[in-house]
Amino acid sequence: MPSHRFDQAKPFVLLGIVLLGWLVLPVAVKSVLRVSFFELQAPIPAAASYVRELQEYWAERAHTRNALIEAGRDLQRVYAGYEFQAQQAQTLQAEVDRLEKLLNLPSDSHYRFETARVAQRDFSGWWQQLLIRKGANYGIPVGAPVVYAGGVVGRVREVHAYTAVVDLVSSPRLRLAATFEDDSRPVSYQGGENPPLAPAHGVVAFVPLDVFASATAPKRLVTSGLGGVFPSGLTIGMVTGLQPSADGLFKSGEVALDPRLSELTEVTVLVPVGLP
Amino acid sequence: MFRRCLIPFATMLGGWWLVAELNDFLAPHAAYLFVGGLLVTFAALHLRLVHGLAATVLTGLAIDAVQPGPFFGVHLVLFAVVHVLIFHLRTRFPREETSVGVVTALFANLALFLGLSVLALGGEPAPAVAWLRLLADLVWSQLFVAAVAPWFFALQQRALELGRVNLVAEHRRSL
Repeated sequence: MPSHRFDQAKPFVLLGIVLLGWLVLPVAVKSVLRVSFFELQAPIPAAASYVRELQEYWAERAHTRNALIEAGRDLQRVYAGYEFQAQQAQTLQAEVDRLEKLLNLPSDSHYRFETARVAQRDFSGWWQQLLIRKGANYGIPVGAPVVYAGGVVGRVREVHAYTAVVDLVSSPRLRLAATFEDDSRPVSYQGGENPPLAPAHGVVAFVPLDVFASATAPKRLVTSGLGGVFPSGLTIGMVTGLQPSADGLFKSGEVALDPRLSELTEVTVLVPVGLP
Repeated sequence: MFRRCLIPFATMLGGWWLVAELNDFLAPHAAYLFVGGLLVTFAALHLRLVHGLAATVLTGLAIDAVQPGPFFGVHLVLFAVVHVLIFHLRTRFPREETSVGVVTALFANLALFLGLSVLALGGEPAPAVAWLRLLADLVWSQLFVAAVAPWFFALQQRALELGRVNLVAEHRRSL
């Protein structure tokens, strides 16, 4: 009889041993396990993304020659416009450098732009992250800002040998110091409103009471540059509504994020350079 | 020992990565599939405790390494608990039946999804919207699990047979 009782309890005894073993396992061993298991699996999403790119390549090969000529002509026009803007940006940067030197101001942060392909998107109600195909091999640091044509993508959370994990701006784990486009007072932004079958939203808090925004007159929310991670002026999203918070001292509201954020295939990591 | 543990582990990991690819395609539509319960069920219903639990723990570790849970090891702990509960109850129903496996996978998936949601939603700024999203994801996940479970169980069974693991003998030994 006691033997039969032990047989019944055996699974739970083994479970207790496993859980206790996991609890007392040193943090260093857990870290090694985490890194090992990550690197072991890293080639799987990378290989899948290469296959997807190959698929896109063959799909694009199906275009007619006329369509390609037209696309090339359109691109030439866009390129000419961007070339002019790049020249203007160079002139402005030279002016900023000259003024910094003249006024003895500390130099503004400089970044190296590292473009990376997205290997996998993992957007659940619990977390929102991207796996990109560049990591320590391209000198990407933890905490580096990640951007795209529409503004902020997120921040690098983990860096591995050939890949890096980016916390998306829509993830509840990401908080930023932000400002409104025409207002220098800092506010707090946090991702996290991710309704089903609809674009993601964020939340803005600690907004001064004299700031107004609505769905008909939205306000652009940009990075403040405070904290030293993100350069200032990058678009986070559009604030489409503000309500007084419970304490009545500030307002809080909803930030509509760009729907393109969930379809990204390529992003740019801003790698700080020239820092002591 | 190694074959009985590594073959289920390989199939679970393969299944999980297939779903991860599917989630990549679903990302622009704000939908997500979770199949933790599907991964755990076959090993818990058909393998011996040590072999099945080892495969489940390894799978939990592999998922923990790539997903940002509330703490490292959250999948490992939840998967192990659900595995042991299914193992404990498996003699009470005809576990050889595929339909029983599907129902078990659905209940296991529900338990794991709710467990993970409760643990992961600590710092959420808008819990009501978050739960609405989770509810929708749970519905898609349960429908998906119900649809693919028979195929996934057959895949695991065939993989074990190819690895010369006799499931009938395993059943007899575990009685």
